[in-house]
Amino acid sequence: MLWVDKYRPRSLDKVIVHQDVAQNLKKLVSEQDCPHLLFYGPSGAGKKTLIMALLRQMFGASVEKVKVENKNWKVDAGSRTLDLELTTLSSTHHVELNPSDAGFQDRYIVQEIIKEMAKNRPIDTKGKKGFKVLVLNEVDKLSREAQHSLRRTMEKYSASCRLILCCNSSSKVTEAVRSRCLNVRINAPKEEEIVDVLEFIGRKEGLQLPSGFAARIAEKSNRSLRRAILSFETCRVQQYPFTNNQLIPAMDWEVYVLEIASDIMKEQSPKRLFQVRGKVYELLSNCIPPEIILKRLLFELLKKLDSELKHEVCHWAAYYEHRMRLGQKAIFHIEAFVAKFMSIYKGFLISTFG
Amino acid sequence: MAPLLQSSQPWVEKYRPRQVKDVAHQDEVVRVLTNTLETANCPHMLFYGPPGTGKTTTALAIAHELYGPELYKSRVLELNASDDRGINVVRTKIKNFAAVAVGTQRHGNYPCPPYKIIILDEADSMTEDAQNALRRTMETYSKVTRFFFICNYISRIIEPLASRCAKFRFKPLTDEIMNDRIAYICSAEGLDLDPEALSTLSSISQGDLRRAITYLQGAARLFGSSILSTDLVTVSGVIPEEVVQALYSTCKSGNFELAEKEVSNVIAEGYPVSQIISQLFDLIVGLDDVSDEQKARIFKKMGEADKCLIDGADEYLQLLDVASNAMRALCNMPLEFPSEF
Amino acid sequence: MGKRSKPIVVVSSSDDDDDDFQPQRRNHTFKSSAQSSFSVPPPRRSKKQQRLSNSCSKSRTDSNPFDQVKLFCEGFDDGFTGFHILADKRNQKKELWVDKYRPQSLEELAVHKKKVEEVRKWFEERLNRAKQENYNHALLITGQTGIGKSETVRVIASHLGAILCEWKTPTPTIWQEHVHNSGSGIRYTSKLDEFENFVERVRKYGLIPSSDRKGSQKTHILLIDDLPVISGKVSYERLRSCLHLLVQSIHIPTAIIVTDCGQSDSADYSMRCWEELQLSIQSAGGCKVAFNPVTVNSIKKTLSRICREEHKTVTAEQNDLIAKASGGDIRHAILSLQYFCLKPNPMLSLSLSDGTPTYSEERSKMYDGNSLPFGRDETLSLFHALGKFLHNKRAPQNSVVSDKDTFCLKEQFIRLPLNMDAPEKVLCQAHGQAKTVTDFLHENVLDFINEEAINDAWTVSSYLSDADTLLASLNGLLLRNYEASNIVQSAAASVAARGVLFGNTHPLSSRWHAVRRPKMWQVEKSMWHKKREMVSQRSVPCNGMNLTDFSVITTEWRPSLKWLGFEESHSEDVHRVTKDGSMVQDDGYDDPMCIDEQTTQTTDDEIEDW
Repeated sequence: MLWVDKYRPRSLDKVIVHQDVAQNLKKLVSEQDCPHLLFYGPSGAGKKTLIMALLRQMFGASVEKVKVENKNWKVDAGSRTLDLELTTLSSTHHVELNPSDAGFQDRYIVQEIIKEMAKNRPIDTKGKKGFKVLVLNEVDKLSREAQHSLRRTMEKYSASCRLILCCNSSSKVTEAVRSRCLNVRINAPKEEEIVDVLEFIGRKEGLQLPSGFAARIAEKSNRSLRRAILSFETCRVQQYPFTNNQLIPAMDWEVYVLEIASDIMKEQSPKRLFQVRGKVYELLSNCIPPEIILKRLLFELLKKLDSELKHEVCHWAAYYEHRMRLGQKAIFHIEAFVAKFMSIYKGFLISTFG
Repeated sequence: MAPLLQSSQPWVEKYRPRQVKDVAHQDEVVRVLTNTLETANCPHMLFYGPPGTGKTTTALAIAHELYGPELYKSRVLELNASDDRGINVVRTKIKNFAAVAVGTQRHGNYPCPPYKIIILDEADSMTEDAQNALRRTMETYSKVTRFFFICNYISRIIEPLASRCAKFRFKPLTDEIMNDRIAYICSAEGLDLDPEALSTLSSISQGDLRRAITYLQGAARLFGSSILSTDLVTVSGVIPEEVVQALYSTCKSGNFELAEKEVSNVIAEGYPVSQIISQLFDLIVGLDDVSDEQKARIFKKMGEADKCLIDGADEYLQLLDVASNAMRALCNMPLEFPSEF
Repeated sequence: MGKRSKPIVVVSSSDDDDDDFQPQRRNHTFKSSAQSSFSVPPPRRSKKQQRLSNSCSKSRTDSNPFDQVKLFCEGFDDGFTGFHILADKRNQKKELWVDKYRPQSLEELAVHKKKVEEVRKWFEERLNRAKQENYNHALLITGQTGIGKSETVRVIASHLGAILCEWKTPTPTIWQEHVHNSGSGIRYTSKLDEFENFVERVRKYGLIPSSDRKGSQKTHILLIDDLPVISGKVSYERLRSCLHLLVQSIHIPTAIIVTDCGQSDSADYSMRCWEELQLSIQSAGGCKVAFNPVTVNSIKKTLSRICREEHKTVTAEQNDLIAKASGGDIRHAILSLQYFCLKPNPMLSLSLSDGTPTYSEERSKMYDGNSLPFGRDETLSLFHALGKFLHNKRAPQNSVVSDKDTFCLKEQFIRLPLNMDAPEKVLCQAHGQAKTVTDFLHENVLDFINEEAINDAWTVSSYLSDADTLLASLNGLLLRNYEASNIVQSAAASVAARGVLFGNTHPLSSRWHAVRRPKMWQVEKSMWHKKREMVSQRSVPCNGMNLTDFSVITTEWRPSLKWLGFEESHSEDVHRVTKDGSMVQDDGYDDPMCIDEQTTQTTDDEIEDW
């Protein structure tokens, strides 16, 4: 088992970061009633960990017995019936799913599942009808229509189920949904907190950590705890005992982006642009999301740039990233950005060095 | 609707005024409406104004006072934006409801006028087609039906509809009115709210009473009965002033690296970018040492960024772009990029 | 409106009825006669085996009713379900040349010798060794249309002395037919149902009927050419499992033919289905042979042979043109030839023997725009249009008359006038889909930009990005408003084309650039495959990968799992970043042969100086 899973805190009391949030959540569920919740925060901050711990707090250990199902849903959408397939993760008390996997049909999925959950509510020992929890991931990727229908279903079935929504950015969730939930912001852990966690894991694993080693990992992790633990483990596999100047392995795609960046800096010509295109294709066909490629590329390029150019490069990165969202073929827009950068940089070189 | 547990009933519903005369702060509206109630003769009505000022409350209160609980169900049709309100709904549902004639028999103490009421909440989100279709319906059934339109922006209601209605503007609530109401709820719920928290609450809710109550309830749930102003800020999702201030000062410094670092920090903290942009806007609007031209440059970019965010653009890049633009405006760097044509 | 239109429809359709019922009536007479010679009993299912045997035996004994059978099967037959024995007989008159000059021997096949040999060997092996051997008996043949897939199987069958049985279903394809059928009490069964039934029967009983005396000594080859059309997930799943079953359990050498209908749009769902079907057949143990388009040379050879036999004089140049225009589709080439020879005086249109100058003139005329009467599809003229845009021919500097009256442009926006029709007109003639045009332009434009002019590269790519944004806005429109989507399409194509023309200020003068096929399609396809695989892996609750954000999986989980050596066997090929920048070619879904063949095909049509 990966360390990320092995040392994932199982209960609200055991969390190392976000202790305050955990305590508040505990208070919340102790009152036997819990409003709809919306967790938001950057990736790797610990949203899912907190949600699982919260569910455990509510229902006990039985939530950890989950089964994975590939369910087929027959949805009646007015004039026709839709066949949708979606992977769900469920225990007796909760169902978890990624509604955005359903693509265009996401709104039907949300309605249908909530309806079904409302139908077979679990009955607790006192014969009282309990409620189920529906965990929806990536709500920010839901279409507007789906969010809209979510809002109505939230009201309609509020007696029979509670929703826990999870997303990266709350500004992509409509106000209507946000206002019906208790919003919980999960910030990315500070580097010191990451160091704490890494040292905790190191102790548990019985590892000798040279001083400053954990801090270096934390620094490279971009404040993502998951990322930090993963690279900690890769370091362990790579070389142990740790040495202080040990290389912390970067993700392979990041290395690749770095290569692209230095290619761009070396030569600015249509031919080079064509080579860059080939490399970007390589990343894309490995399913690295285009916006992440673009962001990383910008990051690498900015590092090597004079500050007077940075503003302009930034502007174009934002511009083409937006274009990418509107368009379909990411490569067109990434390439346009690279071409623009080349053109700016070449102009700069010519004006400085003649 | 499924019965709710008492504790989970939103306070917004729980403390909704039941009578027109209880509606806070909208004296003028209340005066006209009470008059209407006495004569039981009311025109079509259009309520507009910012959110959380009591529009829906008023409409519901009128309906209740006219018909009482028994007839309410059969006489009043409520439609809000979460319902599907395409042209088809207008054609069928509204029409069907409107077409049935009603009698004048009185029930209890209620006036029970011989018409029905259709309340269209959030009417500005209706499509233009649907609004046009409504126009005919309104005329055809005006003898037996009254329409209450509720919207935030009157400009989004087509002129023919608006001209058929008596228009009521709802003013944003003043701080005192809101504080009174909040204090009332606090005492009813047994909450302890210090004055500082109270003023924070009214500032973060910006005259929107519903929002204020929602925040209050959220805070009460998370933090128990004694609520501090920081708790309210946490619950509301409003970004602490220091964060916005820090971002502004890095922009002011003219150092791109600093700004970049601050932007990534904001993102890592998980603050919603649309929120931070709007708070940055509030901050910069009020500054005296920034010239109008500089402000205009910054705000232009903010507007663009906001649109991009709605289209789903990446938050980090957009905020960075805003910060870079603000920096260039504040440090009087040239507006155009040298290589642009 | 709906009320009024109805009677009109009735009137017009009654006209159609007359036309449509004519052949049908004829078919019925056929049917009755056929029923006397072949037993076609109404409860069709039960006696299929027998019927097959009858037809088999009959077909070889007398050839006369055979033509009937053929006509009968190709027409609107509604009573005859099951096999159809391919005719091996030439009609002397009034026949399409395609049928008339069907290859009779292995030598006559225009397919590449190696492929033919491969297929022949395969069949030979299966036929020679007895059935008891544990062989897989399914062969999958793929390739684009009209390159002789079925013909090869047929010729090989006759070469090996085996009887070819083909599965064909005459489910109604026209509405009137369906109505007629249900009127006469025949229950409608979908083609897919038929196919399932067929597979079931073949598995249970095999093909060889006991009553057939001669047939028992002869061997059989089964040809499945006409797979049911699939629409949607359910039917796809059924067909897939059905084929899987067939491939695994059949004991007769079977050729399954799947036509690649152009790999143009990789995002198309049904395309993917077909690809996956092929994969699944292969995974069930079927052997796959992919046919390439027929080369221009062998098409030419065939064409000139036909000309000789028909005593038509068609020059080598014309043959060449026809062959090139056919895009490797020999059937189409022959049809074109026939059509070409139908013209009153083919020699007038091309006076070639007069000498080179007229020839080149004529030739350029022929190539110009849409004048080719026998182009197979848009590809050739699309390449033509692309060539125009990419080469960006403009009037020479001195010929420009400077109009002082027209409004002044800044220096940097001024371009010399185009040396071609308006780009929109060219596009229209090329029948290019906006999407295809944009993709092709994007793939190739960088080759045509001056090495120094990175600024131009940016201008061009920003216009392409605009075009893509426009095209994407189509998605929402498509369902609702056909007209609007059309306009958006042409606007996008126009932006792309004009953007390329405008942006490339100093086009390279060199000629002979090969036009590549957009690599993006391939990338999108492989991306889609990997994504699917990962999503399916995600459902395995180990490694905590369950239901996490997709981007997190690709950017964090996979790389670190790889580091940690956690890799599962099948995820190995999923994540392979090669450092040399070359594309990963995963044999599983990208048959390398297909790619090569595509590039060779396109390089054939090199862009010349139009």
